[in-house]
Amino acid sequence: MTPTAADLAVLAVPLLVLAVALAVFAVDLILPLHAGRPVEPPGVGTVRRGVGAVAALGLVGVLAATWLVRADGPAMGGAFVQDAYALYLQRIALLAGALGVLGSIDHADRRFPDRQGEYYLMLVLSVAGMTLLAGARELVLLVVAFELMGIPLYVLAAMHKTEAEGVEGALKLYLVGAVSTAITLYGLSFLVAHADSTRIAELLAREPTPMAVLGMALVLAGMGFKVGAVPFHLWIPDTYQSAPAPFVAFLSVGPKAAGFAALVRIFIEGLNAARDAWWPVLLAIAVATMVLGNLFAVPQRNVRRILAFSGISHIGLLLVAFGIGTAQGLGVLLFYLTAYTFTNMGAFFVVQAVGRTRSDDLDDWRGLARQHPALSLAMLIFLLSLGGIPFVAGFWAKLMLFWAAWERGLGLVVFLGVALAVLALFYYLKVARSIYIEAPAEGAEPLPPLGRPTAFAIAIALAGVVGMGVVPGLFLDPALAAARALLGG
Amino acid sequence: MNEILAQGPGPGAWMLLAALLFAIGVYGVLTRRNLVAILVSVELMANAVNLNLVTLSRTHGSLTGQSFALFTIALTVAEVVVGLALVILVHRTHRDIDADAPSRLRG
Repeated sequence: MTPTAADLAVLAVPLLVLAVALAVFAVDLILPLHAGRPVEPPGVGTVRRGVGAVAALGLVGVLAATWLVRADGPAMGGAFVQDAYALYLQRIALLAGALGVLGSIDHADRRFPDRQGEYYLMLVLSVAGMTLLAGARELVLLVVAFELMGIPLYVLAAMHKTEAEGVEGALKLYLVGAVSTAITLYGLSFLVAHADSTRIAELLAREPTPMAVLGMALVLAGMGFKVGAVPFHLWIPDTYQSAPAPFVAFLSVGPKAAGFAALVRIFIEGLNAARDAWWPVLLAIAVATMVLGNLFAVPQRNVRRILAFSGISHIGLLLVAFGIGTAQGLGVLLFYLTAYTFTNMGAFFVVQAVGRTRSDDLDDWRGLARQHPALSLAMLIFLLSLGGIPFVAGFWAKLMLFWAAWERGLGLVVFLGVALAVLALFYYLKVARSIYIEAPAEGAEPLPPLGRPTAFAIAIALAGVVGMGVVPGLFLDPALAAARALLGG
Repeated sequence: MNEILAQGPGPGAWMLLAALLFAIGVYGVLTRRNLVAILVSVELMANAVNLNLVTLSRTHGSLTGQSFALFTIALTVAEVVVGLALVILVHRTHRDIDADAPSRLRG
């Protein structure tokens, strides 16, 4: 089967991201970026940062292109489909990638100046995997895209390669990732055996057999590892604590969105008929993830670990949205992922900015507001959005989610979710209390001035959070339309 | 008896073998402390997948499973390359490739 020009047009978004990756690679090769020369030519520092600029501008360009060029429809004999749903997820991936690159420029320049090229190359390749995954309707393509998304993450997590903690976090991410890939593949092998086809549409056509149920359970477990659902969540706090902060910002949202993209394609598009078999298990996992994520977050004193466990609790909510399975639920899932992308990335950028001279321990964050009012206000807004306070992005996301769950008859889950949201406010406001109310430690130096790219990244995240809070319809309507298009109703 | 021997084991037997391989792999991941041994165990799990896929290819008389298996093999190789590089990093930073050596992150 040879790809035709029409196929390539449909595959435009992933192909453009790959082109950006190649451009980053070429720029890194051509420009004299590498350290280790006896005398560095003048201006090399500025040129080095140029690699990041190429990656950021490239991804922003592709993101803009998704509005200008539209070629919907199936490609490669139906293995890939560019529909409204894929497009929405691609935009989330591109947004996360562009913000991730932007927020990394200062950090990469400071911590691993001569390896910036590979850092951005890996990040852009991971985004390419996500954009491909969003439209994959065939299991082989889905698995390959998932690995294209996942393998670069292991490299990125280990960028601080001389630090014991950095390597340890990367190793944990890797071992969990490799094992979960094997489990997912084992499950998929049963699903393929069940349908004798790798087409997701074929899965839909068959009556579920015990073999298919076994396959579903294994895929669900494997994907649970990937998105970090309880009881497969143990790697998250360790990796979040040790990997480069701007990369963690990306890791905490991009791969999660990709994981949900894959789950939706396999379970909603492929196995919705066998819903009764997977829905109770999924609901149990979702509730456990919500409850334990929140409970573990309460005693933490490290900002990164608080954000990590809060992230786990959000995964639980996202799993509920995914499991609801109606157009309403899927639309909320997309909206929630967008809100979460802006919010969590912004919060981790602030963590990175503070972490340049201080530790991530809450004691070191005391009195931050007196020295850095703007940065503190940004963090406060991100925390409020994570907590679901009105008029920022997270509020509408939670509200819409609870509403969709209520309509589906999940009253208990809604009550539990609201109770946990109140509990979550406790630890979010614990961070805010350190920043705003407690006195700064003796002799705490102010932070060095923010680099322009980092400040810009935080500003964009902030604009996204506030914008989604004030005009949620701008994001919610396309999300609901995309979900309706997917479910054909 | 001779008929059974002539036919060879059926698909059920092969899938059982794959399940055993997978279980051995899981056991290895959970119990081994040496990082290279853990990687080998992950490989066993991946090969169980391949065996499963090839078996179903045979039973259905189609090429679906076999072609899937080719992709799995390539993916596993890519993954192990990164894994071994990480093991080398662990050795450099901890002077040891015991899985318990890197355990500073707690809480």
